[in-house]
Amino acid sequence: MPEQLWLTALLNKHFAGVANAILSAAHVRPTNPEAPITNYIAMQLLVFALLLLFFLYVRVRLSVDNPGALQHLVELLDSFVSGQSHEVIGHGYERYVGFLSALGMYIIANCLIGVIPGFETPAGIPSVPLGCALVTWFYYQMHGIRENGPGYIKNFLGPVWWLAPLLFIIEVFSHLARILSLTIRLFANMFASDMVILVFFTLVPIIIPVPFILLHIAVAIIQTYVFVLLATVYIGEAVAHEH
Amino acid sequence: MAGEDNPRKDNAAVVWARYSQIAFIIPAGVIAGLLVGKLFDYWLHTHWLFLVGIILGSISGFVEMIRMITRQKS
Repeated sequence: MPEQLWLTALLNKHFAGVANAILSAAHVRPTNPEAPITNYIAMQLLVFALLLLFFLYVRVRLSVDNPGALQHLVELLDSFVSGQSHEVIGHGYERYVGFLSALGMYIIANCLIGVIPGFETPAGIPSVPLGCALVTWFYYQMHGIRENGPGYIKNFLGPVWWLAPLLFIIEVFSHLARILSLTIRLFANMFASDMVILVFFTLVPIIIPVPFILLHIAVAIIQTYVFVLLATVYIGEAVAHEH
Repeated sequence: MAGEDNPRKDNAAVVWARYSQIAFIIPAGVIAGLLVGKLFDYWLHTHWLFLVGIILGSISGFVEMIRMITRQKS
């Protein structure tokens, strides 16, 4: 049995039956039926719960006259994502700000939770960045179709009609490659950053790993920014109208 | 409608994010092609479509890379 974090062990103790039932309904056979919940799933559930509690807390304490520090933080984040979206997507950007903010918060929480002792970085497991990339991909394709209707397919055909069948295949592969490029970059950066901390922590457990933990935080912020920015660019391209 | 006034010139951050894709886009295209080819091999009970997938994936990676580079120059 792989090594389990305390939270994973706790979840497996109480919810292994439910997890097995969900997996068998999806025709998935767990590698270890006694512990179907893995560390990264437990960490993502924790991130989800923490973000939910955070937003509920901010929502309850929302005040125009006396805004708290957390409200300022959320407003700052919202205005930053709004400004970026307005610049990249243009008119009608408001519709996408909620998704982009939530995506950013989720990714950064997944990247940074591993800094807390006793937890792991879920973004260092390929499935987690892949999930985020897939959600982004389906989201921008869906809005591309919604905004342009059947004309959205013109984005895949190119300007020369007789080259259209070949360009269509190339464009489809190119769009699929976006999923992988988003996934590989986030995964590789967080995995490498985690490994560096682990190696230095194993060699010298005090003081020396601190700069690498700070580096991990910086890498997490930069990678989250790049992921959200590219998601914004893809949405902007998908919903743009040809003149 | 959304995107009607989409600015043509990307800002520095967007350019930086786009260029950061260059290192990943060709391998990502090849892997995407391989996976799609393997999927068609599985569905159609063939053993060669993964090669077609790899070739098309690498072409699409190159096309995307060239497009990224030339986008800023135009």
